Amino acid sequence: MKLNLNPAPHVHSRQDTRWLMGNVLIALLPCCVAGVVYFGVPALMLMAVSMASAVLFEALWQKLCGRKLLIADGSAAVTGLILALNLPPRAPWWLAVMGSAFAVVIVKGLFGGLGDNFINPAMAARALLLASWPKFMTAWTAPSGLDAVTSATPLMTPAAWTPLELFLGRIPGCIGETCKLAILAGLAWLLITRTIKWHIPVAMMASLCLFSWIFGKDPVAAALSGGALFGAAFMATDYVTCPVHPAAQMIYAAGAGLVAAVIRSYAGYPEGVTYGILLMNAAAPLLDKCFRRRVYGHGREAAK
Amino acid sequence: MTMLKTFRGGVHPLHGDHEGKAQTRGEPTRAIEPKTVTLLMGMHLGAPSEPCVKAGDRVKLGQVVGTPVGFLGLPVHASVSGEVLSVGPVQSVSAPNALAVTIKNDFRDEWAELPAPLGSVEDCPADQIVPAIRAAGICGMGGAAFPTHVKLAVKEGQFCDTIILNGAECETHLTCDHRLMLENSDRVVDGLRAAMRALNVPRGVIAIEDNKPDAIEAMRRAAEGRAGVEVAALHTKYPQGGEKQLIQVVTGREVPSGKLPLDVHVIVMNVGTAAAVAEAVIDGKPLISRITTVTGHVDRPSNLRVRVGTPVRELLEACGGISLPEDRVGKVVMGGAMTGFPCPGLEVPVAKANNGIVVYDAKEARETEETPCIRCGRCVDACPMGLNPYLLKHLCDAGDMARAQKECVMDCIVCGSCSYICPAHRHLTQTFKAMKDAIAAEAKKGKG
Repeated sequence: MKLNLNPAPHVHSRQDTRWLMGNVLIALLPCCVAGVVYFGVPALMLMAVSMASAVLFEALWQKLCGRKLLIADGSAAVTGLILALNLPPRAPWWLAVMGSAFAVVIVKGLFGGLGDNFINPAMAARALLLASWPKFMTAWTAPSGLDAVTSATPLMTPAAWTPLELFLGRIPGCIGETCKLAILAGLAWLLITRTIKWHIPVAMMASLCLFSWIFGKDPVAAALSGGALFGAAFMATDYVTCPVHPAAQMIYAAGAGLVAAVIRSYAGYPEGVTYGILLMNAAAPLLDKCFRRRVYGHGREAAK
Repeated sequence: MTMLKTFRGGVHPLHGDHEGKAQTRGEPTRAIEPKTVTLLMGMHLGAPSEPCVKAGDRVKLGQVVGTPVGFLGLPVHASVSGEVLSVGPVQSVSAPNALAVTIKNDFRDEWAELPAPLGSVEDCPADQIVPAIRAAGICGMGGAAFPTHVKLAVKEGQFCDTIILNGAECETHLTCDHRLMLENSDRVVDGLRAAMRALNVPRGVIAIEDNKPDAIEAMRRAAEGRAGVEVAALHTKYPQGGEKQLIQVVTGREVPSGKLPLDVHVIVMNVGTAAAVAEAVIDGKPLISRITTVTGHVDRPSNLRVRVGTPVRELLEACGGISLPEDRVGKVVMGGAMTGFPCPGLEVPVAKANNGIVVYDAKEARETEETPCIRCGRCVDACPMGLNPYLLKHLCDAGDMARAQKECVMDCIVCGSCSYICPAHRHLTQTFKAMKDAIAAEAKKGKG
């Protein structure tokens, strides 16, 4: 009888990386459905192209590096889908391919692959596309399948929509970010399955509302317009690029909300969520260092 | 006194499966008689004992066959009467050549002449309790096997105001302490009282996880009317029975890094150890048997009262044998799933601190492959010590001893919570254990 001698612990939680990524994909499903309902088949095409190319580029990159193929962990699929949901509904298909390649190869692969990238790949790709092809990235279409009629986003004309319209998402915007109801459903799934904790989404939205109000804007409209809620639920919470300690997470998220509010109020871009999150991504390691949990038996007087 | 409900961090292994305890917690303890026993000279933490018998000798039950060596030393007693077959190296759970005395059982159980018992706990001379504990060869029976007389050695300037009996049994699969508390509650309380009397300690707390309501009830009944003895029900969470966590929960105190429980005036003992102390004090009997849980893939999962030194094979046979075809047996683990040691063979003998034997099938035992860390922070949330396992792993993998020490790797209690929870199956705990060993070896080299 040959006995296995691998050391303790001898049991493991069943919640592996694939399970976590699967939960994120499930949580994104309501946003996908809302996107297709509001923006039609082109939105679906973009999602498919973006996801497929992200997985393909990941596979190619891992092959090229002579590494073990890990596309089954689902992380590339999540990156591709989140990127697509951050694109305008009528963005050309090659934009999704460019974005996926940049996200998976440049932002993630070159820094060491999953877990070693310091900024969120999908966010960084969105920032790149916005800077390189602003025309395509700000070509907003009104929902209900109208053909590329360029319209303003609610961020430019906040009074044009009622809070209910903003909440249900029958407004121009990126595919996945308009329907707040769908985002909240996904967020609820992530929280119920304990895939993520509440700290980041709550702190980011609270901070965004607070600072928008301080800067003289309607906090409800600020929360319900643009990519704020989508970013707080699905992008700021990216494990790899957010801090791990709860206190650090709250500061990180509050910082992202603040930067977004400042950009929306005072900068040239109408939307600042992307840059808010990217900036705080870079600060995450420092925050983890400064706001970590106290180690048992350290830094406190022993009992009397 | 503050009473925290629980500690921060921790995990719930096998929670949906009653922590793996359902099969054996209702099984009354039954005694088995081994054909041979192999008494390891190094069953306790400390220098191995010196064998004082030779092959061919006849020994009686309870006779000393190994004499203590050094301050941490303990005597080893014959756990059966019979003929000494050999004195020499055998395979133990952790070493291929551990010195041992093997005795063939003549099934007569003829007792050797024992030291006179000290009598009842109330009347015995307090200063003779600790020497009696040493003479009985008692070490911690919860797993670490620390010699009990050393634990109870309070130096000048130190004092102890609380003794905690660890009946948490937070490890998976094990129910031996649970059964002991149900079947021998009075002995457990007597052992606690003997230790309290020896050190003049006013307070004794028997701490039990709330997944054992019947044991809590039984111990409360046994503690009734016993001055200073109380029972504390604890939240069921691993590692609730970790020494430092237990102290934190029961007393609200934290053991400072690098210090001992006694530095916060607490001593923690396993309930099984307390029962052995009671035997030694009241009956003058040495530690020659213990309860061991045998479960997992065996025909009849059981709690067995086994003689120290019984080979694992005999324990499995007493439970109807392994219930798997040979090619599907994965591993046999001595202890629970979170900290147990994999057994290299079935001839390995049970030592004083072996609380369980669990058989895993090949699927359960298969090695998990490490995938990249996604920094999800679950290890940070799970660590009961407040460490950063994900970061420590990077430092350990890079061989950075200095920074690993700065990140408090030496405070790791090797509980396994981080490895259990890690979605990337990173081999965290084993890496930290190796790093701790390396740092300890380095420190020793520096001194020597």
